[in-house]
Amino acid sequence: MIGSVLAAWLPPLLSFAGLTLALEIGLWLSDIPSYLMPRPSEVFIALHVHGADLTRGILRTTLAASAGLSASAILGVVAAIALSSNDWMRRAFYPYAVFFQTVPIIAIAPLLVIWFGYGLKTIIAVSFIVSVFPIVANTLSGLLSTDPALRDLFRLHQAGTLTTLVKLRIPAALPQFLTGLRIASGLAVIGAIVGEFVADDYKDGGGIGTVVMVSIKEFKIDKVFAAVLMASLLGLVFFALVNLIGRFTMRRWHIAETRE
Amino acid sequence: MSILHQILGLLCLSPLLLTGCSSEDASPLALHKTALQLNWVPEPEFGGYYAASELGAFMAEGLAVEIRPGGAQSPVEQMVAAGQVEFGITSADSLLMARDRGADLVAIYAAYQTFPEGIMVHASRGLESMAEVFQGGTLGVIPGSPFLKLLERDYGLDKMKVVPHDNNIAPFLQDPKMAQQCFISSEPIVARHAGVDPQVFMLKDIGFNPYTGLIITRRQTLEQHPARVSALVRAVRQGWRAYLADPDPANRVMHALNPTMAAATFAEAAIIQKPLIQGQLDDATLGTMTLERWRTLAEQLEDLGLIERAEPEGAFVNP
Repeated sequence: MIGSVLAAWLPPLLSFAGLTLALEIGLWLSDIPSYLMPRPSEVFIALHVHGADLTRGILRTTLAASAGLSASAILGVVAAIALSSNDWMRRAFYPYAVFFQTVPIIAIAPLLVIWFGYGLKTIIAVSFIVSVFPIVANTLSGLLSTDPALRDLFRLHQAGTLTTLVKLRIPAALPQFLTGLRIASGLAVIGAIVGEFVADDYKDGGGIGTVVMVSIKEFKIDKVFAAVLMASLLGLVFFALVNLIGRFTMRRWHIAETRE
Repeated sequence: MSILHQILGLLCLSPLLLTGCSSEDASPLALHKTALQLNWVPEPEFGGYYAASELGAFMAEGLAVEIRPGGAQSPVEQMVAAGQVEFGITSADSLLMARDRGADLVAIYAAYQTFPEGIMVHASRGLESMAEVFQGGTLGVIPGSPFLKLLERDYGLDKMKVVPHDNNIAPFLQDPKMAQQCFISSEPIVARHAGVDPQVFMLKDIGFNPYTGLIITRRQTLEQHPARVSALVRAVRQGWRAYLADPDPANRVMHALNPTMAAATFAEAAIIQKPLIQGQLDDATLGTMTLERWRTLAEQLEDLGLIERAEPEGAFVNP
C-alpha cells in the first residue's frame, strides 16, 4: 500500500523539488534581479505574505471557471447530441461549433462586456466560449463511433432511437466526453482569467486575473508569479477532478480507467 | 533634416563603418546609437521627441536616437533596468515603485509638469465636484493605478462598480453612468468626436500630481556617460520647444506612424497639452523637476502602502 502511494507521488514530487532547486540556484548565481525574475523562494514567500489576497482572488476565479465549465459540459453535450442526430444537421451547424474554437477571444471580450455588462456574467461567458468546443468535438466523435455490432444488436431487439441513445450511444461516448472535459477544464480557467482582464468588478480586489494585473502595475513581480502559480494549480485541480469523475464512472468497464 | 545629416546617419548605421562610430568619439561621424522606448503609440504626448528627431537635434548632439513606439503593456522600467534600451518614458509614480523593488533607475527629464490624467464623466450628469463622481455608477480604471487607492481612501468606492479600463472608450460612450480615467488630451477629444459631451475632473486638483512623460535611464548610464545624458536632454528640450511653437511637422510624422488617430485630433491634443508641458518654465528650464514635487509624491505613495522606502532625492537629476 505504502509502496504504491510512494510510486505514485514520488516521481512528480522529486521532479518538482529538483526543478525548483535548480531554478533557485541558477537565479541566485546569475545577476538577474528579482524584479525581472524572482527566485522560487521569493515566490513562496509572496504566497505566504499575500495569502489572503491570493486566496480571495482564486476563489472568485474558481467560481467563474466552474460555472463556465459546467455550462460547457451541459451545452456541449446537448449540442453534440443534436449534431449527431443526422448528417444534414451536422453539415449545417458544425461550422458554428468550430467558430467557438477559432474565435479570438481577446478581440471579442470587450464586446461581451457591452452585451452582458461588467461582472460575473461576462467572465462566465468568456470561460464558456473558450472551453465548449473540445467537449462538442470529442463527444460528437464518441457518439458517432458507436460499435456497429452493438448498434445491430439494439436494432435486432427493436430498440427505439431514444433507447439506443440513452443506453448505448451516450455511455459509449463517455470516454471521449471525458477527454473533451479534461481539455476544457484548463481552458475554462484561462477563459475566466481573460474574462477578468476585461470585465472584473474589482473594488474588493477581484479575481486572480485582476490580482495579476494589479501586481504587474505595482511591480510586485514575485506576487505576479505567485498568482500565476495559483491559477495553474486551479487548472490542475480541475483536471484532477475530471480524472476522478472518469475513475468513478468508468472503472467497471473501460480499459483506460481500470488499470492504475 | 538636411540631406547631409541623412547621409551621415546612413553611413554611421552601415556595419562596415560601425567601428568608426563608437560612442564617445567627438568627430561629426561619431553618432552614438541609442533608443528611446515610449509607453504608448505615437501621439502628441511624445511630440517633443519626434520634433527633436525631425529637427536633427539629436544628431547635432552626436546621437542617433531610435524612437520606439510602445503599448499599454510595455514594461518600460524593466526594459531600461535590464539594459535592453538606454532610455524610456514612464511616469513618476511607476518610477518610484520600480525603484522601491530594486531597479536603480533615474528620471532625467519631465515633459509633463502637470499630471494630465483625470476622471471623465458625461457632462449631462451635471456633476460639480470629484466627490459627486463616487455617488454611483461604474468607474473604469486600469487595475493597479496608484490613484485608485487615493480615490478609495478619500471618497470611498462602496457605491460604485470598479472595472478594468483597457483604453477602449466604447463602454463609456454607451453608458451615461460610466466614469473612466482619461488622458486630458486624448479620450475626451475622441468622446466629443463620437457625439458624447465629456466633463473631466483632473487628478492634480485633488493633490495627485506626479511628473509624467518622464525620461528614465539607469543610474549606471548616468554615472558612466554624463555627457551623453546631458546631450539627450538638451536635444529633447530643443524638440519640445519646437513642438510647443509649431506642432505640425512632428504631428505629420506621428500621424503617418499612427494613422488611426485623426490629423485634427493631433492638432487639438497639442493645444490642450501645451500649458501642462510649459508650466511656469522658460525655454531654458523646460523639463526640469523639483525635489519638493518628488517628496510629495513619495509621501503619498508611502501613505497608500505602495512603496516602503521613498528616496525621492535619488530618483531624479536635472542634467
